[in-house]
Amino acid sequence: MSGTPAGDLARFRRDLDAWLDAESDALRPPFEGAGTLDQQMEQLARVKRLAYDAGWMRAGWPERVGGVGGTTLTRAYLGEALTARDLVEPGLYSMTEVLAPTMIDYADPELAAAMVPALLRGDETWCQGFSEPDTGSNLAALACRAERTDDGWRVNGQKVWTSLAQYADRCVLLTRTGSVESAHRGITALFVDMDSPGITVRPIGTMHGSPEFSELFLDDVLVPFPRTLGDEGGGWAVAMDLLPFERSTSLWHRAAFLHRRLQELLDAAPPGALDPARLGEVTQLLYAFRARSRATQHRMAAGERLGPETSVDKVLLATAEQAVFDLVADALAPQVTVGDDPVSGRWRSEYLYSRAASIYGGSAEIQRNIIARRLLHLGDDR
Amino acid sequence: MDADELDLFGRSLRDAATRPGDVGPGGTLDGALEDLGWDDALEDDPRGAISVLFGVQGETGATSSALGRVLSSGLGLADPPGGWAATVLPPAGSATPPGVLDGDALRIDGLAFTGLTGLPSARIVAMAADGTTSAHAVATDSLAVEPVDGVDPGYGLLRVTGDVGAGHGADRLPSGAWDAAVGLACLAVARELVGCSRAMLDLACEHAKGRVQFARPIASFQAVRHRLAETLVAVDMAEAMLDAAWLDPTPAATSMAKAVAGRQARTAARHGQQVLAGIGFTVEHPFHRYVRRTLVLDALLGTSASRTTALGARLLEGRQLPPLLPL
Repeated sequence: MSGTPAGDLARFRRDLDAWLDAESDALRPPFEGAGTLDQQMEQLARVKRLAYDAGWMRAGWPERVGGVGGTTLTRAYLGEALTARDLVEPGLYSMTEVLAPTMIDYADPELAAAMVPALLRGDETWCQGFSEPDTGSNLAALACRAERTDDGWRVNGQKVWTSLAQYADRCVLLTRTGSVESAHRGITALFVDMDSPGITVRPIGTMHGSPEFSELFLDDVLVPFPRTLGDEGGGWAVAMDLLPFERSTSLWHRAAFLHRRLQELLDAAPPGALDPARLGEVTQLLYAFRARSRATQHRMAAGERLGPETSVDKVLLATAEQAVFDLVADALAPQVTVGDDPVSGRWRSEYLYSRAASIYGGSAEIQRNIIARRLLHLGDDR
Repeated sequence: MDADELDLFGRSLRDAATRPGDVGPGGTLDGALEDLGWDDALEDDPRGAISVLFGVQGETGATSSALGRVLSSGLGLADPPGGWAATVLPPAGSATPPGVLDGDALRIDGLAFTGLTGLPSARIVAMAADGTTSAHAVATDSLAVEPVDGVDPGYGLLRVTGDVGAGHGADRLPSGAWDAAVGLACLAVARELVGCSRAMLDLACEHAKGRVQFARPIASFQAVRHRLAETLVAVDMAEAMLDAAWLDPTPAATSMAKAVAGRQARTAARHGQQVLAGIGFTVEHPFHRYVRRTLVLDALLGTSASRTTALGARLLEGRQLPPLLPL
């Protein structure tokens, strides 16, 4: 691709939309409603493969990892278009946007070149092993231990809330290589094959019915040294660079998803079920969140380094998502509470999942702590 | 204007706004705007000129008659030299034209800024029973023009009322012209609200860092920090909405920008007031001025609450969300 980013994006949008229209039969999910998580994962892999082979999934990624270069806005638009047409579940799709940049920035170039195309093409699923039973919000206190041996790192410990671990082929794993007192300085990031001996995965049942995250047990797992991401003891930087991606392109996809659902609510709500003042306010919340997320996409495309300001995006997402589904729960109460058809099941599942929007990816309280310390410079909190 | 010119413009305005004696209660930036050629800048680069001026007004609490000029510009009508305030605004809480045309009679109820005093005539946009709008030049001395004390006497508002003949020289306005002009004015007021909100946040942060209780700055207490964080989210959200509205200033987009800016400024006022506590309730601290300004700005051109309800009602009628600004 060449020319201005705006021109490239306009062309990409036009051509992609035409392709999505032409291939709509091949791309459509073979199930009604939300589907099971297995079905969603199969659908995701299928859509990614078709989009990769047609070239769309390679746009906006560097050539050295199988991409075709160009503005990152094309990636944002692809996710938006797939989500807005209900072709993929946005949370599952967005994992690529979080994990591929980490590999590109921190893995040995040969490793990145070998691994990233499989993620983009949907041949592989990756997961992110950060949280632990005793360290959720306080990431710097993590305890999962990696020790140097002649054969590589030997890893022992436990992770939790690891999204898609039961499907994953690889894991970006944060480990403790320094003393516990070394806090954020003694953390090292590793790229681990999930079929390594010593790894056990136990999916966790969730409130919304989709066991999308797991416990991960690591028992004398050997990880070769070339699988170290970044420097030994440099895992904190890897994590800090990854987290803003959780709050940028992923959220843009989510805005497209929420827009679709709010329109569907407008279509489905019976007369009198929606209060105009509340509907107006929720619409404004969603459009303002989208405006913020759009600006973030443009900053990223201009090469700006994303940082703590993305916490504002995350707070806005959580607020907008919960507001949209609170409206759903009231206006479509019969469907959400006692509807047993697939579409009602999807409304119910998505309402329940919206409760997690202020918890996952750094809770609302953690985001506000970040905003207070790093954006408002209010100093230490103790 | 390029970034350097805008920056210089902003600094000159901020200097004028904060120079003692120039802009006190009832004082106005009108003279400074005249000197700086803001009028030309508005035609040249509406977004730059409006954002800089109304941002400074919001942050400093200064005032001017420029909102009338913005309305004129949105209507595509020229003003006489120095005629900043010529076009009369709707009354508080409303976005409908200040004039009602009934046959040959023109009934007027609206607001203007201090600059109107001294102008030979005011421009009144009026709506007839059939919904058509027209602009009328009305001799100022045929109108009742009273200073508004209200919640914010420092804002320099005048109440303009009258019952006059339609007279001659009325310009028939194209359909949609008034709404487009109000849309542009909404962007100006939204910018002022965002500036006002940022000023309240700054005052509250400054206080929280300096005020010590239980041997620590109150900024170290999570209850206080989260209020302030919440305020930044509110202000950034309003600003994002405003920036997006400038990219495609449809009536739906400008209305949402004004509504969100108004609601978020009320949020900033609520949190800021609580953090500033006792001192923020006194007239010895500047906070109360911004609280007053927030209320009057929210009411100008229709409150956030009324715009929000109207949006919801429109959505329920058409069952179609507003168009999305593309990536």
